[in-house]
Amino acid sequence: MSSPATPDLGFERHTLDNGLRVVLHRNASLPLVTANLWYHVGSKNERPGRTGFAHLFEHMLFQGSEHVPTHEHFRLIQQVGGVANGSTWYDRTNYYETVPAHQLDLALWLESDRMGFFLPALTQENLDTQRDVVMNERRQRIENQPYGLAGEKLHELLYPAGHPYHWPVIGYMEDIAAATLDEVRTFFRTYYTPNNSVLTLAGDFESEAALERVESWFGEIPPGPPLPAVVATLHPLGGERRMVLPDDVRLPRVYIGFRAPAYGQRMWYAADMLAAVLAGGKSSPLYRELVYERQIAQDVGASVGPYESAATFMLVATARPGVAIETVEEALLGAVARAAASLPDPAELARARNRMLTDAYSSLQKLDSLADLFSQFTTYFDDPAGVAAEAGRYLEITPQELVDYAAGWCAETERAVVSVVPRQAN
Amino acid sequence: MATAPRLRVDRSAPPPPGEIRPFRFPPVLRARLASGLTVIAARLPGLPLVSIEMVAPAGGQFDPEGQEGIAGLTAAVLDEGTSRRSSMEIAAFAERLGGYFTTGADWDVGFLATGQLSHHRAAGLELMAEVVAAPTFPTAEIERLRRQRLAEILRRGHDPSSLADDRFHREVYRGTAYAHPLIGEQESISRLDRESMVAFYRRHYPLAGSALIAVGDFDEEALLREAESAFAAVSTSTAPPAPPSIRPASLAGISVHVVDRPGAAQTELRLGHPGISRTDPDYIPLAVLNTLLGGNFTSRINMNLRERHAYTYGASSRFTPRMGPGPFVVSTAVATASTGDAAREVLHELRRVREAPVEPAELDETRTYMVGVFPYTLQTIGDVAKRLETLTVFGLPDDYYDRYLERIASVSREEILEVARRHIDPEHIAVVAVGPAETLEPQLAGLGPVTVWSPQSEDPAAALSPA
Repeated sequence: MSSPATPDLGFERHTLDNGLRVVLHRNASLPLVTANLWYHVGSKNERPGRTGFAHLFEHMLFQGSEHVPTHEHFRLIQQVGGVANGSTWYDRTNYYETVPAHQLDLALWLESDRMGFFLPALTQENLDTQRDVVMNERRQRIENQPYGLAGEKLHELLYPAGHPYHWPVIGYMEDIAAATLDEVRTFFRTYYTPNNSVLTLAGDFESEAALERVESWFGEIPPGPPLPAVVATLHPLGGERRMVLPDDVRLPRVYIGFRAPAYGQRMWYAADMLAAVLAGGKSSPLYRELVYERQIAQDVGASVGPYESAATFMLVATARPGVAIETVEEALLGAVARAAASLPDPAELARARNRMLTDAYSSLQKLDSLADLFSQFTTYFDDPAGVAAEAGRYLEITPQELVDYAAGWCAETERAVVSVVPRQAN
Repeated sequence: MATAPRLRVDRSAPPPPGEIRPFRFPPVLRARLASGLTVIAARLPGLPLVSIEMVAPAGGQFDPEGQEGIAGLTAAVLDEGTSRRSSMEIAAFAERLGGYFTTGADWDVGFLATGQLSHHRAAGLELMAEVVAAPTFPTAEIERLRRQRLAEILRRGHDPSSLADDRFHREVYRGTAYAHPLIGEQESISRLDRESMVAFYRRHYPLAGSALIAVGDFDEEALLREAESAFAAVSTSTAPPAPPSIRPASLAGISVHVVDRPGAAQTELRLGHPGISRTDPDYIPLAVLNTLLGGNFTSRINMNLRERHAYTYGASSRFTPRMGPGPFVVSTAVATASTGDAAREVLHELRRVREAPVEPAELDETRTYMVGVFPYTLQTIGDVAKRLETLTVFGLPDDYYDRYLERIASVSREEILEVARRHIDPEHIAVVAVGPAETLEPQLAGLGPVTVWSPQSEDPAAALSPA
């Protein structure tokens, strides 16, 4: 017995007159429905000096709209047994509500009110509060977190000043503090338009009736001007970039970054497969060498992010007490060099492929993540069928393509290295 | 799409709901294998996945004094070698199928867990039976895991959130098995020997006192046959050990504990005291109370600290019931200059909920939230497995989750007030703040006696009298 390499995921896809793209995926296994809205705007649409604005704006969108008082968004969703949230990333901002199936209209009312009628509710007081909340979020996630600044520093080294992945999504403290109400208005008018967004409904509903409700709630919102694509040119790094970052930690940790092609390209899948081959699981070669056999590292990981303009292939390992971080770095770079020089062990590749397949199915279990995938594939590639097809794209990657990625993209001159070391000797 | 002239929708108020669609917890199957192992299973078709877990009476609550962390370390060594396979062979066996195999312990139980595509489940079951029946506790693997744990203990000493949790539990559970970190202490982990781990394993992993939990896409009869066959060769051993009685002493008033991190960007704050056991009859009304107090975004504590005062990115309260009285704790990370004010606002909310009945609308919204959100919490095979684990570990009846929803709907304002007065006590509470002592101490001194701790030491850096 075997499982299909691609899950069977039916969907319908429509476009309203105002440009809003709508994806409907019926799944009646639980009496739930999720409304997931992606706006194609993220930190890459910001400019230096105003970093973190897209994320601060996401907070503002929970502060009410013309017909929804401040603080009511969460209350209205929660009191019917729903769950709501949003998130901001380099390329996009998403908002979602998962509610009992009979409350679909409530979710659509809330989302359409803030897409069409947000500005009348905007106040300086709400902006002041959310600026403080976001500064506390930055303290909690980055500044008061051991190793918290490393990811940010790695990106600063790997992408040049001016490139939109140079600065962190949450932004720099002084930029967050500088945001004004006028900037909120302009950002909303520019980016929060139906033609710059994708709405996915997933769950227990009748498609025809649901589409009619979407049309009723969203159809009257006027489209905005078309948006020019963000230009993000990258030249080769042309020399290794390094930084030593003292922090209040006891165990040193090294972060090594290489660039990878944009998400969706065949070579991106090769890079992600390489990450799974090298460090996916206890029996992977990097875990085996660094953590199990030589015992020079406490942990090791490799990952590639799904970004739209370029991606980062990142290796991370924490040194064992008494082990120099250079020893750990050397071992990681040795594995990359071997990946560039010779084909992966067929057994390692088989393990990574099976893992990708299991992960693909696992990611479909929750309605909110499933809807998010439909919005993602529609926003980036105009292709909701990509959700079901993605597992197959991993399986197509040949061993030689892993070598091609490592050899073509992971040269010494194309890497950035951040070593986090204990601030004082202790 | 076609554009028929449409009526404008009425946006002035929330739209009315449609027709409610029924939900029931998936049917629970129970069986007992010839080896004495209880099986509890639920079928969740749709995706070809399965989650299988075995739980044994081997949690951290059984850690003897001086052997703190033995439950966790013993569980971790289980899958480091059997009479047939080495540590790496065990890991590779599960991972080459695209699955995982892991072992560990929480406060209540020790567990072995595996997950994979459902057509590989028989292999997962066989591996699990082999690991629980014939672990060899290789010395080299014990030493490796010991060093890894000691390094992890070092790491926790520099992590603000772990420092806050660890100090909180030491103060609240002083003298009981819940006082130490689950991972153990540097001294105890350094000392634990193979012999004591083998003895712990022999006593705490009897099949007759354990349960196998399976959730996913399978035919129940086939699953039972596979489990029977996998565990057939495992001998039934001793009777399961009785859980220890954990009775923390009541706290003497409000005490403040500052863990000094000069220059910290923010303060990790905890306030709380011992809570209830999972089998306490007040569990459900208390869960309703906690949801409106600090359990979700619109709860009193989060709205106060985040949306009204902007002290924090988020604040929450939580009861974590265990077999014994698990903690009640309010957790947040606040701007350092606001720490004293934030702690006072939390105490204010804890006092307020004991003083007057909650608003009728507030209670209505909380009950409809908890009933409505229940299916959302059961979307994955892991979600359902966790619920089955609760049933079996705490001896709850199979129709518990159907009655759970009815019981929530029946909780009254009077009952909420009663359980608040019984189980929340802001006058006997530990306040833990991890941040710069120089700034924090004056802010917190008015609450109660302050002790300042060094992050890496069990000796207070200075014991100071309240101002």
